[in-house]
This record gives sequence, C-alpha cells and structure tokens, in this order.
Amino acid sequence: MSMYFVVFLYVFLVGASLAASLINDILSSVIALSIFGVLLSTAFAIMQAPDVALTQAVINSGIITAVFLAAYSQTEKPGCYGEEPDE
Amino acid sequence: MLMLGYSSAVVIFCTGLYTIMARRNLFKTVIGLSLMEASVLLVIVTSGFIPGGVPPIAPFRGVAVNPLPHAFTLTAIVIGASDIALALAFIVKLNKHYGTADIDKIRGLRG
Amino acid sequence: MNIRLALSRLASMILCLSFGMLLFQGIAALDMDNRVTGAAAHYLSNAPAETGANNIVSAILFDYRAFDTLGESTVIFTAVCGIAMLFPRKQILHSARGLSFITRRGIGFVAPFILMYAAAIILTGHLSPGGGFQGGTVLATFTVLMCVVYGSGFESTHLPPWKKDLLESAGALLFAGVGLFGLIVGTGFLSNLSAGFPSGAPGTLFSAGSIPFLNIAVALKVGAGLSTIFYCMINIVEDRRGS
Repeated sequence: MSMYFVVFLYVFLVGASLAASLINDILSSVIALSIFGVLLSTAFAIMQAPDVALTQAVINSGIITAVFLAAYSQTEKPGCYGEEPDE
Repeated sequence: MLMLGYSSAVVIFCTGLYTIMARRNLFKTVIGLSLMEASVLLVIVTSGFIPGGVPPIAPFRGVAVNPLPHAFTLTAIVIGASDIALALAFIVKLNKHYGTADIDKIRGLRG
Repeated sequence: MNIRLALSRLASMILCLSFGMLLFQGIAALDMDNRVTGAAAHYLSNAPAETGANNIVSAILFDYRAFDTLGESTVIFTAVCGIAMLFPRKQILHSARGLSFITRRGIGFVAPFILMYAAAIILTGHLSPGGGFQGGTVLATFTVLMCVVYGSGFESTHLPPWKKDLLESAGALLFAGVGLFGLIVGTGFLSNLSAGFPSGAPGTLFSAGSIPFLNIAVALKVGAGLSTIFYCMINIVEDRRGS
C-alpha cells in the first residue's frame, strides 16, 4: 500500500468531516457524513481490520443515512410551504 | 502511518466538538456527535495496528494485529448507531411540538 | 452574521483548537512498541484450540467476552423500546406507492441473492470476517430497501410489527438459553466447549461450539431492532402541492 494513497485517504477523510460540519444545508451535510463513513471503512480495511470495516460500511450507509433522511423528512423546513389558505 | 491516523482522529474530534458547540440546528448537533464517536473508533483501531501485520484470521501468514480493539470497536459502532437513532427520534418529536429545529428558538419559546 | 455570533464562533474555535493540542500530546505519549502482549497474545495463540473458531474477533466477542455482547444486545433493545414509545403506531399511514414497474421487477429478481448474502455472512462468522452484527444489519437494510421500492404497505402485510417483536424476543431468548445451558450443565454462564457444545474440526461449517447459535441470535436481534427503528420513524408526508 503506497504511502501516497494512505496520505490522500486521510486528507480526504478530514476534508469530508469538515464539509459535514461547515455546510449550512442539512441534506448536503448528511451526504458528506455518508461519504465520511465509507472513507472510514476504507481506513479500517487498510489497518487490517476486516470485521470492523464490514460493520462500519453496512451500518453507516444502510442504517444511519436512512434514519437521518427519515427524520429530516418529518421536520418542517422554514420557508418551504408557508401558510396555506384554507379555501 | 500511526501518527497520521492519530493526528487525523484528533482533527475530526475537534471538528465534531466545534459543530456541537457553535451550530444552532439540532441536526448539526447529531452530526457532530457522530463525528466524535467515529474519531474515537479510529484511535482505538489505530492503537492495535502493527506495521506489516495481517488480519487476525487463523491461520496467520505473518504477524497478526491486535484483535482486542476490533472487538471493542464492533460493539461501539452498533451502540453508536442506536443512540444516534434515539437522538433523531427526539428531534422529530421536538419539531412536532415546537415547530422548529433551532435550539435558540426552542429555548426562547419555553416558559 | 452579526458580531456577537462571529465572536462566539471564534471563541468556540479557539477552545476546540487548544483542546485538540492537549489531546494530541496525550495520544503522542502512548507507547508504540509494535508487539502484542497480555491477554491479546493469549487469544491469538490459543483461540483456535480453545474455542474452535478461526476468526479470532468472533471468538473474543462470543466466547471470551460473551457477557459484553449480551449487554450490548440489551442496549439495542433499550434504544428500540425508547423509539417505539415515542411514535405511536396508529398514526402512521401505509402507502403502496413505491417506485416504477422496472425497479420493482428488478429488485424482485435481486432480493433472494441479498438474503443469501446476509445468511452467508451470519453462518460463516466463525471462519471468515463477518458474524451476527454484520449479517443482522444487512437484513435490516434489506427491509429499508423493500420500503423504498414497494412502499410502506409492503411491510404491514408481510412483516408486521408483532412479527418483528417476536423475532427480536426469539433472538434474546436464544442467547440467554445458550448461556443458561452452560449454567445448568455446571460449567458457568455462557461457556462454550466446556459445556458440551460439539467442537468439530476447525475450518468447517459445523464447528466452534455455541458460536453459530450466538451469531444467529445476535443477527435476529440486531436485524429486527434496527428495522423496527426505521419503520417507527417514517411517516408518509402528504404532498401538499398536489401530485
């Protein structure tokens, strides 16, 4: 495993976490969190931990992202529909 | 490679902590919590790594890495997923009750 | 953004950076002597003989530290109870509106292979990387996929909440039953080979004593629990602008 690839992976990991933290739109932050999870799973695989990498990949991309999006779709977003007239 | 892993984990932890402290939206708080948990898992797995090692599956083809941090990390990943789901359920209920997901407005509306 | 907000964010950033420097000095003081010592060295050299499992991490999780895995299953159960208490089931609408016809037929062809993949991960957990947690989460993600493609009415007819409760309780009872079997025989709670479970030849499918049973129990519990979490939290949002 060449050193350039490992350095690139860790820099991308830190970049994805900064993107998840600093972006104002919630949907983009959730997608950045999902990317962060996949990169973390790759980092675990490089560290010779196949069980941990499998668990992190499946849980982060399957359950965490789905539950985040399910919760985000339930909230009222400001300025989306406004007050509807009843007639 | 160990120092690279440790330093990136510290940076991610500080990013998560800043997200929890300085962002008003409750979803951002949960994202920050997830980042902090992930950085701790990275530190744990990196601490058991031996350069030039093989995964801990018998029969080994070389020196096996430490399997004990992997067992801790498996449990911690699943427990982290459960508590993030619980936190998101609380946010949905708060939003239904107060109409907003902004922590400053919720604190101002109470009382 | 006004000046107060900018000042408060600057203060948080300075605090986080100083905390990060302290953390880094603490981590840099760890000794990295690149050897495996202590209990982990005993597990690495003796686990295939003492437990019959080739996957050392599975042997640690389900034989040497099986009580911690029981506690972790309890944590998942508590989280599922908390979420199910917050959302009453009577208020959830069931819609049969999924994706298009091509997607339904395609996923209907792929679905048995996904289930076979999950079963392979669960059943060979003691031989290769995998086990109960990974396979159970794949099963929960499969039910999320079914909800996206076929609509949430699919779940209410094929796998209603009472069936998922039954599966989760069955997993917990299987785990506790395997542990109590060791207690009844006389060697201790959750003991593996010394309680009489068949050891088998290391490297074959039917080996490693009670570890396959514990894998199945944890997979049922984790899969049913995470699926219940997802289905409690969705609610069909009516499209107010007309569809």
